Amino acid sequence: MNTRIIPVNYNYLAPTTLAEALTVLADKPRVKILAGGTDLIVKLKTGVDIPLEYLMDIKRIEELKLPKYCQRGLFIGPLATLSQLEKDPDLQKHYPALAEALRAMAAVSVRNMATMAGNLCNASPVADTAGPAICYGAQLKLENITNHRIIKAEDFFTGPQTNVMTPQEILTEIFLPQPLANCGGAFRKKTRVKADIAKISATAVLAREGNIITHCRIAMGSIAAVPLFLGELSAGLIGQEMSPDLRREAGRKAAETIKPIDDNRTTAGYRTAIAGLLVEEVLAAAWQRAGGEL
Amino acid sequence: MSEQETVYKIIGKATPRIDGPAKVTGKMQYTSDIMLPGMLYGMVLRSPHAHAEIISIDTAEAEALGAVCLTYADINPIVYNERSVSIPAATYRDRTVLPAKARHFGEPIAAVAAASEELAYQALQLLKVEYKVLPAVFTPQEAMADGAPQLYEQIWLGEEKVAVKNNIGVIRNIEEGDVEAGFAAADRIFEHTFELGRVYHDQLETKGAVCAPEADGSLTVWCTAQSIHANRQLLGRVLGLPLSKINVKKLPLGGAFGSSIQVNTVTPICACLALKAGRPVKLISSREEDFYSHQKYPSVFEVKLGVAGEGRFTAAQVKCLVDFGAHQVQPLPYMGCVAGWFASLYRYGPLRFLGTAVYTNKVPCCAMQGYGNPQINFAIESMVDIICEEMGWDSVEFRLKNHRGVGDEFWGQGPTIRSIIKSCGVPESLTKGGEIFAWKERRPHTEKSGRYRKGIGVARGFHTSGTGGPKEGEVIDYSSCMVKINEDGSVDLISALMDHGGGTWDAMAKIVSQTLQVPMRMIGLSPTDTRNTGYDVCTHATRGVYCGGAAVLYVTNKVKEKLLEYAGRILFEHPAALEIICDEELGQGVIFAKNYHQKSITIGEVAKIAQINSWGTIAYTDSYRQRNCPPCFTTHFLEVEVDTLTGEITVPKALLYGDCGTVINPVLIDGQLIGSFNRGLGYTVYESLDVDQKTGELTNKGLLVDYKTPTAAEMPAAENVLVHWTDTYEPSGPFGAKGIGEAALASVQAALANAVYNAIGIRFAKLPITPEVVLAALRAIDN
Repeated sequence: MNTRIIPVNYNYLAPTTLAEALTVLADKPRVKILAGGTDLIVKLKTGVDIPLEYLMDIKRIEELKLPKYCQRGLFIGPLATLSQLEKDPDLQKHYPALAEALRAMAAVSVRNMATMAGNLCNASPVADTAGPAICYGAQLKLENITNHRIIKAEDFFTGPQTNVMTPQEILTEIFLPQPLANCGGAFRKKTRVKADIAKISATAVLAREGNIITHCRIAMGSIAAVPLFLGELSAGLIGQEMSPDLRREAGRKAAETIKPIDDNRTTAGYRTAIAGLLVEEVLAAAWQRAGGEL
Repeated sequence: MSEQETVYKIIGKATPRIDGPAKVTGKMQYTSDIMLPGMLYGMVLRSPHAHAEIISIDTAEAEALGAVCLTYADINPIVYNERSVSIPAATYRDRTVLPAKARHFGEPIAAVAAASEELAYQALQLLKVEYKVLPAVFTPQEAMADGAPQLYEQIWLGEEKVAVKNNIGVIRNIEEGDVEAGFAAADRIFEHTFELGRVYHDQLETKGAVCAPEADGSLTVWCTAQSIHANRQLLGRVLGLPLSKINVKKLPLGGAFGSSIQVNTVTPICACLALKAGRPVKLISSREEDFYSHQKYPSVFEVKLGVAGEGRFTAAQVKCLVDFGAHQVQPLPYMGCVAGWFASLYRYGPLRFLGTAVYTNKVPCCAMQGYGNPQINFAIESMVDIICEEMGWDSVEFRLKNHRGVGDEFWGQGPTIRSIIKSCGVPESLTKGGEIFAWKERRPHTEKSGRYRKGIGVARGFHTSGTGGPKEGEVIDYSSCMVKINEDGSVDLISALMDHGGGTWDAMAKIVSQTLQVPMRMIGLSPTDTRNTGYDVCTHATRGVYCGGAAVLYVTNKVKEKLLEYAGRILFEHPAALEIICDEELGQGVIFAKNYHQKSITIGEVAKIAQINSWGTIAYTDSYRQRNCPPCFTTHFLEVEVDTLTGEITVPKALLYGDCGTVINPVLIDGQLIGSFNRGLGYTVYESLDVDQKTGELTNKGLLVDYKTPTAAEMPAAENVLVHWTDTYEPSGPFGAKGIGEAALASVQAALANAVYNAIGIRFAKLPITPEVVLAALRAIDN
């Protein structure tokens, strides 16, 4: 390993239209899509075994660039960088959990390069934007040369570094539906230092009527083989009255659900020890953002 | 204060860095910026095994690709130590340019040079090495066990062959006074064990070299170095060339923290590659290679301290166990220094130090910011807190009563380099620091509750300024320079003294400027090399300003004598009747007849007349050794906040109190204190280097992504970092100055641990104190 060298020979392609890019994917074997490159290039340099014949840089495809907010919700193009999204006023206003996740990610120079689509497609169990995507009910549009399909964020991840995409597909759009009325969301993560990959993260998005939870989605990162949607726990909270006991109980259940491992960032034991606390915190913060009182 | 000092005083002023513009515009030329026509790129093959015989290396395929290959068969197998700061009789030698046996994961085994880095990388993959893998040892306990795999059968101490038994590299025991009687006289004896692991220097610039064979048979070398002369001497020995044929250039260094006191491992490899290729070769370590180059010494201390009822020590004993890795860079002097830092902290009465340093199949350790001082300071300053807590003594009062101060002996570089302390800011920093931090209002941890708990901690430390002593000891210490007044009154300063980025060269220019009363902009720092400078041991041991500066002051005063003699000749005055006053507007030092300023001449005019009249150039060159090693003291008062639900530690407020004698540049002193506080925060709370116990590979694989150091985001808010300096004057220092660099780190660790204790009542005796460790300890109490 030498991090000044990418030790593989590959062909570099830079299409300027989506059609061209999809044709490449349809025609050529072992193509890797390069957007921000903050994961892919690092993996290539550190010797991760990635079959690579063609590196297809999609940064010149204008139609994949901008985030767009409308009545239906927010459409995020696959080339929207984390910095760009972090500064987007519509995103900040309507999707605060995602805004928090974006702000908590990496250092400025990395956020200027990295894309949210790349963060999702890289399919790390740690991906910070995955939790908010799951909790806001994001729909991911996957296109190939002939067809497209829509996949829910929680169904997108299949294992560490793997997802449902075929080698012929591009993630062309992340759609976040308009949040419900009286809705709030929050994201928290624990790291070694501020600019770091999470030891553990939690996201909650909920809506309320009075003191009753009417909608709830909780997700956690870096505690299982995929970014985890805690569906059963979320569903169980709907219809309940918000209280410190309820949050504590939710945290306890979350800690029982997760299956963390030891790695270079922390231990399985530490992850389990603070998982409940994080869930309690995001539930409280989301509730307050929904206009609820603690 | 003399009249001239009131007129022009550059010492103590915040002046812009001379090298600032070059640095911020990227024009500074570091080793990795050197490009030469026809240059090849070198790359190193590193061992994938922690311990293995190298049976054979097949270079045919790599050579077929056009690469020049270097293996053990190509090198002069002379056995050396990369470090030459200690005298030869106190230096163990155990290594060659490339080894016949791999002794740690990541050890250089072979090297290639090719027309591009990519080609070199390809060639590296084509080298075929046959290893015979041997069992490895990763802990000192394993290594010392009978029947454990042996790294060496024999090594050299000076010119003597020494057998290695049970992998023990160094035993160093030091005893002063009747220790048993001291403990017998104690009312209470405290015993605790402290453990500090390995961390990485993480200097900005990775180690590297560019070597160019010249037509006259000489070799020109550009390399990362804290001493160009050390590099020249070692290369001369390894290459069998006269020193006059080896020219090492002085370059700016992108940080060091001690990592280039010794000759970097890659430099002789690069030189051998260049000579074999007959072309210039550039070899720059990648960051992950740099992780496998050198690391900080880990240490385990068993501390035993006796105290008597009135608040005094009666005796002290430290057992120290060090795992220094696969090669000796300097564990022998390390042990001596640790003993010295230990001995010099307090007036214990009788003391004993028992040190054992052991070979393991890990990366070799070398000096890093404090050379054992932060390690032993953590143990002793934690112990002081433990003792005071238990005995009901105020720990600030206890420190004031027992610290070594003016008139006491200080061991600046182990037991053979001792001098008497002549300046000491400890009382001021403890007393005033205590007032600033409201020490007396500190509440015990038993009165604290809730999720977030704050605590205040104090610790004090020091480092030496240089390694000079009244008597020559185990350590070489002197600097050389030349000062030359040009024919327009500007001045050239020619010296081999290195600047690691801390501003040492600026300090030298200021000393010349102050002494000759020549404005800073008229002082030139000459690019130099080993051919046109006298020996300078190394910029290490916080000696740059105190020792290097003293040499510059000494030589500048000699030049001043000559200048005034010539001026006296011209003005028909006795030199003693003349004085120099800087005229900043004119850009000249002006020489006046004392008390009769109608009679004057500029330095430029004197130099010009001397030249026209063929009197000669007004210049002087010499070497100079300091005969003291005064401690520069620091005191840290720190406030921490512990999140008892996550175990996270933050530092809301810090008071960094430094004693560097006269301040040469206040901004740079602040920078040293704040920067070192940041490093101490990393050492205490964040950083550790671990190896896979099966393979010996670093668990972070040498990648910074898994070696986190605190950034500005982890520091207290800027307005809550309070920096103070004591009002002290070191009589033996240039203009009263001492050092500060390494002292600035010494007491950070203990102050943090003491503050954590004050917050949550848990004593952490092992670093780092990560959230995982804190939370586990809190839960253990709850259960």
